[in-house]
Amino acid sequence: MTALATDIGSRTKALLLSVFTWKRLLFTVVTVVVITALVQPIFFTPYHELVWQLLAIALFVQLAFSAGEYWALPGVPRWVAQVLAVVLAGPLATLLLQLALVGGSWSAFVGHRGMVHGFFVVTVLVLVFAPSMALGALYRQRDAQAQHDALAFALEKSELEKQALDARLKLLHAQIEPHFLFNTLANVQELVESGSSLAAPVLRSLIAYLRAAMPLLDHIDATLATEASLVRAYLELMHLRMPDRFAFAIDIPPGLAGLRFPSMALLTLVENAIRHGIDPAEQGGRIDVRAERLVSGEVRVSVADTGAGLLDTATPGTGLANLRERLLVFYGSGARLELAENVPRGVLATISFQG
Amino acid sequence: MTTIAKVNATALIADDEPLLRERLRGHLARLWPGLTIVAEARNGREAIELFEQHAPQIVFLDVHMPGQSGIEAARAIARKAQIVFVTAHNRYAVEAFEHGAIDYLVKPYDETRLADTVERLKSGLVRPNAESGAAIDAALERLAAELERRGTPSAPARLQWIRASVGSSVRLIPVEQVIYLRADEKYTLVAWEGGEALIRKTIRELVDELDPQKFAQIHRSVIVNLHQVAQVQRGINETAEVHLKGRSDVLPVSRSFVHVFRQM
Repeated sequence: MTALATDIGSRTKALLLSVFTWKRLLFTVVTVVVITALVQPIFFTPYHELVWQLLAIALFVQLAFSAGEYWALPGVPRWVAQVLAVVLAGPLATLLLQLALVGGSWSAFVGHRGMVHGFFVVTVLVLVFAPSMALGALYRQRDAQAQHDALAFALEKSELEKQALDARLKLLHAQIEPHFLFNTLANVQELVESGSSLAAPVLRSLIAYLRAAMPLLDHIDATLATEASLVRAYLELMHLRMPDRFAFAIDIPPGLAGLRFPSMALLTLVENAIRHGIDPAEQGGRIDVRAERLVSGEVRVSVADTGAGLLDTATPGTGLANLRERLLVFYGSGARLELAENVPRGVLATISFQG
Repeated sequence: MTTIAKVNATALIADDEPLLRERLRGHLARLWPGLTIVAEARNGREAIELFEQHAPQIVFLDVHMPGQSGIEAARAIARKAQIVFVTAHNRYAVEAFEHGAIDYLVKPYDETRLADTVERLKSGLVRPNAESGAAIDAALERLAAELERRGTPSAPARLQWIRASVGSSVRLIPVEQVIYLRADEKYTLVAWEGGEALIRKTIRELVDELDPQKFAQIHRSVIVNLHQVAQVQRGINETAEVHLKGRSDVLPVSRSFVHVFRQM
């Protein structure tokens, strides 16, 4: 019971709030003032009295219109209920007003020809203007609803786009290590500050690397050549940072350069070689990236490092497992990723596929 | 102030990247003409050696260096010099450094930041803080623990790669791809997703090294990857047979190992 009472109470409050907004009131007042001016010649009632009377009726009708919105009957479309409420409220309000003017006496009202005449005129007026205005209001409401929906939709869409972007950035973050980036930038800073002629080529490598690494994440058109240039940019940066203990070579035969190749695959192997091979080795080492086609037609792309080598207990990162899966998705079940000991030391990682 | 401004001191720079050593040396020369760089080290081991040789008052240490890390070097040097860590690892260092016992620079740093450090170093040399020694030790402990935690998992190191001769090369097989291991006269046979290979490690050694959550010994001569087991069938005399996913091989489970599958 209390819940119902509260419900009705809050509905009434919402109704009153929605009826008596400044915008709505102003609209009603202006409309009434204009209409009164138009119809005044056919009334005996002076203008200022007629304005108040019509305004009272108009407010009542407006209340009915809003009430129709809040207490729509089940099974009846809302707009029908609202127009119906307006049609009924118009004559009713006029009648009540007229009765009030003659002190509530029915016989006095019926006996007064002017009053009855006025009643009919006002009723006709209300029936002509009110439903059309109600329909207009309904139309505008629907428009506002559509606009609101469109906005909500746009908001949701941008939210989804943002999420997609976040996911990409996260992937990027995982791929481009902050440690690598900041250390490289520290090197670039020194080159720039000391006015070294190396600054320009190093920045070029960094830009090439970043440019290649960013959009390539979901790039399906990547080839062995684009991947090799990404790897070259990365290795050039590493060489700059460790010139005394790191060297590299990349050998991709021109005939294989155009082969389709999953983006970042080679970079993952090269990054691993740096991280687990070269980085921890005091003496450093070298990395050789090669591609070759066997007589059988199989293509092998390998990354060999002469670094510290892999401990039996070194936890394999998720990078290699992910790469294995990506290769299977990209090339089908014939593709393999294999790791072996390199001679004389370090690790040899080989991707094999039918290309 | 005048005493501080005129402080003369000696320092050692340790960083595996030559350009970054050069940069630090250049900036220090400008900011602190009274500071002499007595040596430059390329790794933690060299840093310790050169420190013992030259006994500088200040040591700039890159955290991430090949071989011994900067933190290991700092523990060896400990209270004998003022230490400033230089790192590109914002995240793992800052927490330990926050307690203020040890100064640090995050790469790439700017000259103003380095100037602050220089001021602190100078006042530290003029007024050594006797109480800070313990705080430094504590901070180094935290850093070392953090580095350890990041580098290697705290659980006992499990075998992750099987080295197996295949043809002329030594393959590194991730243990996840191993299906089972079986003693085969002098060798152990490794059956993995890519084929079969022989290794010298014995079943007994492998049982101790493999992760017991993933591998179980089911026979005196057999270890199986539990993820590869399709079903276990009971046999006569309290033995059983293991059938593998997508393979026709059947592995024996001897009586003393049947308990492995009891609660499954």
